[in-house]
Amino acid sequence: MTLARTTLFTTLRLLTLALACATSVAYADDYGDVSQLVRAGKLDEAMVKADSYLVGKPADPQMRFLKGVIQRNLGKQAEAIATFTKLTEDYPELPEPYNNLAVLYAGQSQFDKARAALEMAIRTNPSYATAHENLGDIYARLASQAYNKALQLDGANAAVPPKLALIRELFSPNNKGQHPATTALAAAPAVPVAKPSTPAPAAPTAVPAVVAPATTLRAAPAKPVASDSAAQESRQVEEAVQAWAKAWSTKDITAYLGAYGKEFDPAGQQSRKAWEEERRKRIVGKTSISVKLEKLSVTVNGAKAIAKFRQDYRAGALAVSSRKTLELVKTGNRWLIVKESTGN
Amino acid sequence: MKRYFLTLFVAALVTLAMSTDATARKKPATKAKPVASVGHQQGANGDLAEARLMGIYQLMAKAQGREALAQAEQLVKDHPHFQLAQLVYGDLLAARTRPVRMVGDVPEPMRKAAAPVLDQLRDESQMRLKALRERPPSGALPSQFLALSARNKHAIAIDASRSRLYLLENRPTGLTLIADYYVSIGKSGLSKNAEGDLRTPMGVYFITSNLDPKSLKDFYGSGALPINYPNVLDNLRGKTGGGIWLHGTPPGQFSRPPLATDGCVVLANPDLMALIRTVEVRTTPVVISQSLKWVTPNTARSESKPFEEALTAWQNAKSSGNMNQVLSFYSPSFNSNGKSLTEWTPALRSELNKVQGRAIQLKDLSLLRWTDSADTMVVTFGEVTDGTRTGPTKRQYWVRQGSDWKIFYEGVIG
Repeated sequence: MTLARTTLFTTLRLLTLALACATSVAYADDYGDVSQLVRAGKLDEAMVKADSYLVGKPADPQMRFLKGVIQRNLGKQAEAIATFTKLTEDYPELPEPYNNLAVLYAGQSQFDKARAALEMAIRTNPSYATAHENLGDIYARLASQAYNKALQLDGANAAVPPKLALIRELFSPNNKGQHPATTALAAAPAVPVAKPSTPAPAAPTAVPAVVAPATTLRAAPAKPVASDSAAQESRQVEEAVQAWAKAWSTKDITAYLGAYGKEFDPAGQQSRKAWEEERRKRIVGKTSISVKLEKLSVTVNGAKAIAKFRQDYRAGALAVSSRKTLELVKTGNRWLIVKESTGN
Repeated sequence: MKRYFLTLFVAALVTLAMSTDATARKKPATKAKPVASVGHQQGANGDLAEARLMGIYQLMAKAQGREALAQAEQLVKDHPHFQLAQLVYGDLLAARTRPVRMVGDVPEPMRKAAAPVLDQLRDESQMRLKALRERPPSGALPSQFLALSARNKHAIAIDASRSRLYLLENRPTGLTLIADYYVSIGKSGLSKNAEGDLRTPMGVYFITSNLDPKSLKDFYGSGALPINYPNVLDNLRGKTGGGIWLHGTPPGQFSRPPLATDGCVVLANPDLMALIRTVEVRTTPVVISQSLKWVTPNTARSESKPFEEALTAWQNAKSSGNMNQVLSFYSPSFNSNGKSLTEWTPALRSELNKVQGRAIQLKDLSLLRWTDSADTMVVTFGEVTDGTRTGPTKRQYWVRQGSDWKIFYEGVIG
């Protein structure tokens, strides 16, 4: 996967979008509206709007993509599969439709198909983080199936399909007035940084998302004795996490990297040094970054703490909302991050 | 995608990369051959399933994970019940997301749930690799096959230490290894003594029949070739039990662990079918040994010399018609189908009378040697008296006592 190849694909992809959306400046608000309705759960309304838009522009990839997301959220798996399949046929250089196809296949436990789709997504865009993460999950699940067959286990533990991250939009509609293609141009290189693994809206059968009410001082009266210092600890953790987000937003790279403990082990096989270097480049290079945390919940257990939250990340035109979990360890009187993971 | 190379795992497999090339060379390089022989070639690597698995191991050793994964995927598609292939496929998939350190690097909870099965699969993997790394020397034959007549078109030798069955073809140029297969033997290993001891007998046997798979339970797979356990030597030693077969596997199982049977020798169904297509009942000897010793044809010939001298002396005695001289070749422990030497002597006498001093010839002589605490020889020949065209096919068991060889069984077969 050379840089040249990545760049080539990125260029191709942007060219496609630019051509497909040549007239879409005026419609950028339509995407935004539909997206907004999807986020608000007003799926029927979103569908009506998407459909009426597509009457005028039936080939529009972004709106068709949104329609696929709506169909999927409405539980219309087969229709969503058809929509995304058609998109992969019409725009084979776009990785997102392949990713979402994979999510749908995985939901039906068709892991081989999911794998094939994700491999296509990665072939299309080798630096595509979400597809990589999803593919990792699929490989793990397929491995588990094979092991079950090898060991003749009944495989009951494989009953629940893995939850993969669905992509909600082909590109962000948020930056009004800017040409979507330019928007994408700005956004694309940022993809691996931001890990835009926006998780699928929790399906009813899925493992319940642990969104405990934020541990704040209000929780203290419930357990007056024991939780007094615990509440204090948890507030310190909260502060540490907020400070980390702030350092990130203000591109204070020293404070940002300082929020991570010695023991922090970057995901994968990246060395700490390489990771720091990468973060530095990615963060300092942005014109603007905004990181906002929502639904922050903290669990403290002795000198260890887990912080879970929804992270709204914006950098230039890119906006991703994802669930994040930080594991922290108290070192001296500071809480430092030792593990960072995206998704539930 | 991050590539996790199969670190330690690879080290164990690297040696294989060279040795299986040797296997490939081993394949008989013959020109156009009759249909039956094409069968051998197809079966040469167990319907190719094992060869494919080994090919995957080689790719892993060369860190070609993606190609290995693609081939493993196809292999489990073709043989979904090949558990070892599933295990390796699982490893290759897992290796795309985390380091895999050994064959069957399954997640901890699974390992706990199925530790014995996992161990058995690793044993199977090791045995298959071992048999392919440690190949019989080219042109050699198992030391038991001292001489085979043209009537013995094939011979089978089983090496328990490698979980391997070697199929040899008796060509005008000598015994030639044409195929070998992974096999499972008794749960308690070799050296059967008594009924129900879950052991596989050791010794020299013959295939007695070919059972129609339609008459068999699914458990026996694609067929069964019973062998003549207990043989004459086993009977002499008071061994019990029976029904030792070479047979296949149930529909849901491609192969079984190395030690898995109640005493039978079990092959994968495609392998068994190749064997059944190839061998003849009654004339195919089956040697079952803890560890085969492969010798050159010259060694076999020179080792059979002292015995052949004894056999010729017996032949001459019988040709001369001297009853006392003939009787000196028979052991006091002689037993022919329940008859002691005394009870059997009248029959021998009447035979001698019929011969009337004419010379006898031994046609289609085959000599199989079995050495454990005793040194025995299983001898088969057609006994033809001069002036006649045919004679009975006889089998004798001889035992070595010091430098003398004595007959302790004689009977007519077929």
